[in-house]
Amino acid sequence: MIILSFWRVIKFSLQDFFRNFWLSLVTVTILILSLFSINFLITAGVISQAAVGAVEKKIDLSLYLAPDAAEEDVSVLKNEITGIAGVEEVEYISKAQALETFQAKHKDEKSVQEALREIGKNPLNPSLVVRTKALADYNGVIDSLDKLSKHTIIESKNFDDHKILLASMNIITAKTRQVGFFVSFIFVAITILVVFNAVRIAIYTHKKEIRIMKLVGASDWFIRAPFLAEAAWYAFLGVVLIIAIFYPFLHLLQPYLATLFNATELNLIGYFNSNFIRIFGLEFLGAFFINITASLWAMRNYLKV
Amino acid sequence: MIIFENVSKHYPPNIKALDNFNIEIKPGEFVSIVGQSGTGKTTMVKLLIGEERATKGRIMLGDWDITNIKQREVPYLRRQIGVIFQDFKLLPQKTLFENVAFAMQVCGEPPSQISAKVPQIFKLVGLEKKMDRYPNEISGGEQQRVVIARSLIHHPKILLADEPTGNLDSINAADIINLLEKINKFGTIVILVTHNKEVVNSLRRRVVTIDAGRVISDQKIGKYIL
Repeated sequence: MIILSFWRVIKFSLQDFFRNFWLSLVTVTILILSLFSINFLITAGVISQAAVGAVEKKIDLSLYLAPDAAEEDVSVLKNEITGIAGVEEVEYISKAQALETFQAKHKDEKSVQEALREIGKNPLNPSLVVRTKALADYNGVIDSLDKLSKHTIIESKNFDDHKILLASMNIITAKTRQVGFFVSFIFVAITILVVFNAVRIAIYTHKKEIRIMKLVGASDWFIRAPFLAEAAWYAFLGVVLIIAIFYPFLHLLQPYLATLFNATELNLIGYFNSNFIRIFGLEFLGAFFINITASLWAMRNYLKV
Repeated sequence: MIIFENVSKHYPPNIKALDNFNIEIKPGEFVSIVGQSGTGKTTMVKLLIGEERATKGRIMLGDWDITNIKQREVPYLRRQIGVIFQDFKLLPQKTLFENVAFAMQVCGEPPSQISAKVPQIFKLVGLEKKMDRYPNEISGGEQQRVVIARSLIHHPKILLADEPTGNLDSINAADIINLLEKINKFGTIVILVTHNKEVVNSLRRRVVTIDAGRVISDQKIGKYIL
């Protein structure tokens, strides 16, 4: 009897869904927009993480040393820097290596090559290139490097730009997240109102059935359950359709990102595939909870059993 | 047996719909409850089907004290009381069969029971050949018979008819009253709440007259006295 009643609840909820088809369509559409904004937020998070990772790999802190710096002094400085918390490695680039790298980098620029020939000697300084364990360690390491004033062999430091770049990236990431949260919040609020309204109208259009159900002795839960089931249908359909919509969107987005990142750095589809259950399962649970809450709210106000 | 013992029902601010209302209805009785509008007839119906709670007094249905019936028990009460109203309350998009079957479906009856019992009930109300029609394809009297069929589907001990002939012409009204008498002969208590003087006088059954929420007359073979 429980299975039979459950089946009838499902049947009645589907009847409700299709009887107010256009309203159901609008409700599901709003839910899809909410889920899209949430998934977009996730995507933005993945992209910014990949961007930070990529920058992390490219950013290094260079200490340019005096051309005549003694090997012993360089070694002492290197050891001291290696001992700073957060430092992953310190690489010594000799004058010759620096020139080699510079020439390779500008091999197609004739004017640069000519300028080098004109000078007639290696104009570059040896340097120490410092890499940190994590992006978060950079500021601490930079502060420590700034304090290395007793070492006279240090001619100049180059990491101010990195600070600015990292600060900008952090601001952009935080802003993107804030805007994403705000948009998602707006959509979730709209979803609650739309589901509330959909259930309210469903109750109104079923006024006669509800009255008959009450008169002939249907239990309270049997009268209420189809409206809850309808709200669950909205959540289910919303998640199924967002999966159908979001993957093509990722396919469209991926080639543009591929020009900025290499495949190992960022594979959005791969990310969504490997987190499929976690992302869409949680989205279903969230949508289910929101819809059921809105449905209960509408029933509390408009369905007297 | 139904007992209303010193039952009062007050609505704010100071409306006394029923005031020390007393009535006892024995199994198998056919009782007409008459009275002018606003005298408390509908309140009595609402108290009996658990739609309202009494302010004071006691209401018994057999051994069951339903005065302060819990909300979760109301469906079980309503399966014991068939209710018919003046407005037919049939679902226009369902066939007559589906309308009656709906009452069984929502109470969890299996399909085998539904397909066996519904035709029997239609036979009782004389509409077995019209089960596949829609409500708008039959007359008002026939629609009211479908409502009676629906109210009988759970084999209730009581049939409560609140102005069942209000929207019908005299011929259809007589048909409905005949049907109620037929149902009463099977042992079902029939409570007929009505304004219809002709119907009450033709029945020659018990008549309880209500005025200002009180019973002012209770005659075994009564007439419409207002």
